[in-house]
Amino acid sequence: MPKVSIIGAGNVGATAVYYIAEKNLADIVMVDVVEGLPQAKAMDYLHAAPMRNYNVHISGTSDYKEIADSDVVVLTAGIPRKPGMDRMDLMKINVDIAKKASQAIAEYAPNAVVVVVSNPLDVIAMATLQETGFALKRVMGMAGVLDSTRFRYFIAEKLHIWPGDVMAMVLGGHGDTMVPLPRYTRVNGIPVTELIPPDELEKLIDRTRTGGGEIVSLLKQGSAFFAPGASAAKMVEAIIKDEKRVVPVSAYLRGEYGYQDIFLGVPALLGKNGVEKILELTLTDAEKNALDASAKAVKDGVDTLRSFYSPG
Amino acid sequence: MIGIIGSGNVGANTAFFLAEKGVDHVTLFDIQEGLAQGKALDMMEAAPIRGYRTAISGTDEPDAVLDAEVVIITAGAVRTSGMNRDALFQQNRDIITRYAQKITRADTKVIIVSEPVDLLTTLFVRHSALPPAQIMGLGGILDATRLRFFIARELKVSMENVAAQVIGRHTDDMIILQNYCCVSGVPIENFLGDETIAGLFDQTRQAGALIVDLAGRASAYYGPSAVAADLAEAICRNTGRIMSVSQILTGQFGITDAALSLPCVINSSGVAKVLEPSLDAEQIQTLKTGARTIQDVIKEDSHA
Repeated sequence: MPKVSIIGAGNVGATAVYYIAEKNLADIVMVDVVEGLPQAKAMDYLHAAPMRNYNVHISGTSDYKEIADSDVVVLTAGIPRKPGMDRMDLMKINVDIAKKASQAIAEYAPNAVVVVVSNPLDVIAMATLQETGFALKRVMGMAGVLDSTRFRYFIAEKLHIWPGDVMAMVLGGHGDTMVPLPRYTRVNGIPVTELIPPDELEKLIDRTRTGGGEIVSLLKQGSAFFAPGASAAKMVEAIIKDEKRVVPVSAYLRGEYGYQDIFLGVPALLGKNGVEKILELTLTDAEKNALDASAKAVKDGVDTLRSFYSPG
Repeated sequence: MIGIIGSGNVGANTAFFLAEKGVDHVTLFDIQEGLAQGKALDMMEAAPIRGYRTAISGTDEPDAVLDAEVVIITAGAVRTSGMNRDALFQQNRDIITRYAQKITRADTKVIIVSEPVDLLTTLFVRHSALPPAQIMGLGGILDATRLRFFIARELKVSMENVAAQVIGRHTDDMIILQNYCCVSGVPIENFLGDETIAGLFDQTRQAGALIVDLAGRASAYYGPSAVAADLAEAICRNTGRIMSVSQILTGQFGITDAALSLPCVINSSGVAKVLEPSLDAEQIQTLKTGARTIQDVIKEDSHA
């Protein structure tokens, strides 16, 4: 049985555990620094096992040693975004948390593929890559799968059709600067542009861009976790089952799309080795400009991060 | 309840796939006494292992399935090696006409799987009192499913990520809409050269015949059954799935009175909406020629 470790037993981590267990994908270790929390949640899941027919083992711990030999590690640790809080506000705290986790991953699970979920995503992914020293394809961020599942849902809702029939490609950074590609967004093959007029589609894109914020402001406390947990679990499944799934992934770029040394959302082939291939699509000038803006926002974040840690 | 007419390979496997999907109740019917009952019992005896709660029953009384919410017609002769689908028309038209007259519950949805599907769907509508939007033939969606497999196999990507649309007749003259074939939304031209794409399209056109040739006697049934079960599920669960099914056109591309496949929104009312894909002149011509062939065969038949 494959093994997946979830770092951070908060709502996103625990929800990812739920989806992974329901599909019997892998044995699961939940890790959290809050003593008792991961143990409690793991035990709670196991109590449901007779009814839900889990045949995977689920455990909780505060000791990183127990992630030993994981095939996939999902990094969800960090504090959640609060109403009115910009993703950048979160950065320093969450980068520190991610660095500690990354050191442990490098030590105990040196062959794992790491899926970063913590925000600000593209920045945390960079910190994780640096701190683990892993091969580039074995560290990635979960953003585009979530942005695209929201976009897919909004399209299906609009057209009164089954959400599973909608495919969407979303590039760029997570959230405000994401770059949806309507040309590559299709309903069972039919371009969405043939089904929804441009002004209405633009509204759906705006709603997708602020989809996370919409939920934050409704909840008042905390942020979305069902769709983020499901998105992380979907990526875990693609890796563990070596599905060769084509999904938008925040991947480290070395010249693809003209960018260097940056994590950015791009279409990628996901399999047992992690990001097995980055697909380069032809973009229109408008799309490329939007992607440039998105890349710049990510780059600024990483530069800010580096300034925190630069000597002196 | 979903009623299935004909409990051969297609009928029985459709029942099995429906059970795995968790629908409430499936009734299999076959004129051969005991066949439907035997297969239903066999499936129920697998239920403790497979965990489905579907009640599957078998009958040789046609009345037991005629007023089902969805009736799937799989009865009739299947083609053999070297035979084209249209040659089955003479053998299967009487069965279809009979059921068209017998299925009278006003809100029943009918799925025709028997071949030649576009001809039989057209014939069924002519003899049925039901609204045409409730009568669907298993056409382009099956060809599209096969094409999705071929594309995914060629590219070594997850099949779930591949979408395709095939419209028109469910014969060698099917129209494969290349600009609607994509991987996670990205058109296939980004991944494959023209020659490879043409090869995959040829395979799709010949896919049914290849299975007949390889299997020796039985024609394909796992693929058709899986698609029939998917279509029935979309109706029962009111999902609004987009599927290319054969149905009587009502002026799309200037065509009326012939059943051809176009992408449709499927929900509990049957065909809720027909989508009109953008076609080039040649594709429109193929569609019109297909419609005329169907009309000619049906007209000749009614004069005979």
